[in-house]
Amino acid sequence: MLRRLTTRLLWSVFTIWAVLTLTFAIFNWLPGDPARVLAGPQARPADVQVIRDQLGLDQPVTTQYARFLGRLLRFGGSAEQHPNAAFWGPVGLDLGESYLKRQPVVSLIGKALGPTLLVGILALAIQVALGVLFGVMAAYWKHTVFDWGAVLLTLLGISAPTFLTGLLLQHLFARTLGWFPLDGYGESQLEILRSAFLPSLTLGLYGAAFYTRLVRDEMLTLLQSDFVRTARAKGLSERQVVFKHTLRNALVPLVTVIGMNVGSLVGGAIVTERIFRWPGIGTLTVNAIFDRDGPVVVAVVLLFSVAVVVSNLLVDASYVALDPRVRR
Amino acid sequence: MHRSAWQRFGSNRGAVIGALLVALLVLFALVGPWCVRFDPNLSDFVTGTDVDGSPVGPSAAHLLGVDNLLRDQLSRLAHGARISLAIGFVATLLSAGVGLLVGLVAGWTAERRHGWVDQGLMRLVDVGLSLPYLVLVMALGVALGDVTLTTLLAVLGLTSWFGTARVIRSKVIQLRSVEFIEAARALGQTELGIARRHLLPNVLSTLVVIATAHVAAMIIAESVLSYLQVGLPPPTATWGRMLQEGQSAIAERPLMVVAPGVMILLSVLGFNLLGEGLRDVLDPKHE
Repeated sequence: MLRRLTTRLLWSVFTIWAVLTLTFAIFNWLPGDPARVLAGPQARPADVQVIRDQLGLDQPVTTQYARFLGRLLRFGGSAEQHPNAAFWGPVGLDLGESYLKRQPVVSLIGKALGPTLLVGILALAIQVALGVLFGVMAAYWKHTVFDWGAVLLTLLGISAPTFLTGLLLQHLFARTLGWFPLDGYGESQLEILRSAFLPSLTLGLYGAAFYTRLVRDEMLTLLQSDFVRTARAKGLSERQVVFKHTLRNALVPLVTVIGMNVGSLVGGAIVTERIFRWPGIGTLTVNAIFDRDGPVVVAVVLLFSVAVVVSNLLVDASYVALDPRVRR
Repeated sequence: MHRSAWQRFGSNRGAVIGALLVALLVLFALVGPWCVRFDPNLSDFVTGTDVDGSPVGPSAAHLLGVDNLLRDQLSRLAHGARISLAIGFVATLLSAGVGLLVGLVAGWTAERRHGWVDQGLMRLVDVGLSLPYLVLVMALGVALGDVTLTTLLAVLGLTSWFGTARVIRSKVIQLRSVEFIEAARALGQTELGIARRHLLPNVLSTLVVIATAHVAAMIIAESVLSYLQVGLPPPTATWGRMLQEGQSAIAERPLMVVAPGVMILLSVLGFNLLGEGLRDVLDPKHE
């Protein structure tokens, strides 16, 4: 068990390293010159050269890569010594400096992470709440008008791209009805929450459709199983049978799928944040890509792959916790 | 009573609706651009404006109205359909091909003499699945400047096979221990012969199901890239770009958003329904 866990962890670190290296390579070997973009189209060649020197873009890719890896993790030291690093106790993370904004990448990420997490968590809450609610109801009232309606809506929800849902929600609730701000972030906490609602709903509806189908299918299978018949035969109330016995078992696959969907939440964030001008990781990524701001792009990819790898590990751990048969 | 796959397909409502949607879409993409009366990239100053000079809504000449630049919407939709389908089919073909090959090799070598091959390939798949491919594709799009259909196809096809490879691998491992394969081996068939004659046909049904859903994913991916303005450059008509261009005019000309939006929705729905239908038909346990 312990050996398996260690191997898993080591492979996870390897995966993250490989993603990092690949991104670094792709971004540095691509045609195009970040210094050129930064200097602007009118800049004199000498000025472009100055920027190139400052950023160390003249050095071979391998040297840049070695420098990047060398400073990535700092042990000991302080924030004064390493202005680009963020410290947690003795360990510091240094992702370099943004070419364009001349700020530490870690602080740019730190600033954008909050808004993205807020929308991500709200979206997840909407997904799970709606998904479980409608899934259970559709399974319980199988082959009724409600079930058909739920199936049809979930099919549409799964097939609608997030930018279409987002634009329509924005048009309806912000532009026409005026219930929520059109886009942007907000100053007070209440304003921020109100602005977060539409992006969260956009991301949430897609996942809700997905989870509704999952819970419905799982419940339908389980409701026919022997242990449910036994529970009914024992004279348990319908409520106990459905919620306590069936739903709890139906939630096991849900946890897996939630874990696997972390990646799609991040992908969806790029589009959703674009529509609602939300100052999160997605917006940071898109701007960095257009500005050819290499350090920021590499950092975002690193963040993404860590999120995916960690959630995969958590999914595996949850198997062990939820399903005793896996414990060997 | 045993029913043939065709009969099961015919009685699967979702599959039939999906197949119908896909057929209509293919027809629209093939025939549509010939039937429309306007060039998708030319502004129509004659019948494209209202009395006050603004772009017309739906009219006899322009069934779906014109866009901000007075270009016929229906014509742009039809040309966009070609691009969406071309990308959907070709990128899927690429991705399914690579995924099938990697999955077969990995599954066949897993926990055997050449187990390291499987280990290596699966680590590669792990890495691939942890890559935010939208970010990578965008970065490639920006760096390459002018994105062409070929680069888009290559990038989308070659970054999306990882999931397929993983599923095919587990299918192969599952099939390996099935009796008829054991029987073939006992009869002295070569490993390669078994793989070709017995394994491949059985894996193909799984592949068809994955590939059908993959077409939908590729159509969405293309439209997302176009929407983010890193897809095919203007004036090429793609659904994603039409939507992006219509965004600012949604209040005055909602059709500019709704028309391409509905096209994307219906195509994705069609391929999703067809894929699920095929899964039910080809794998009766799922029904």
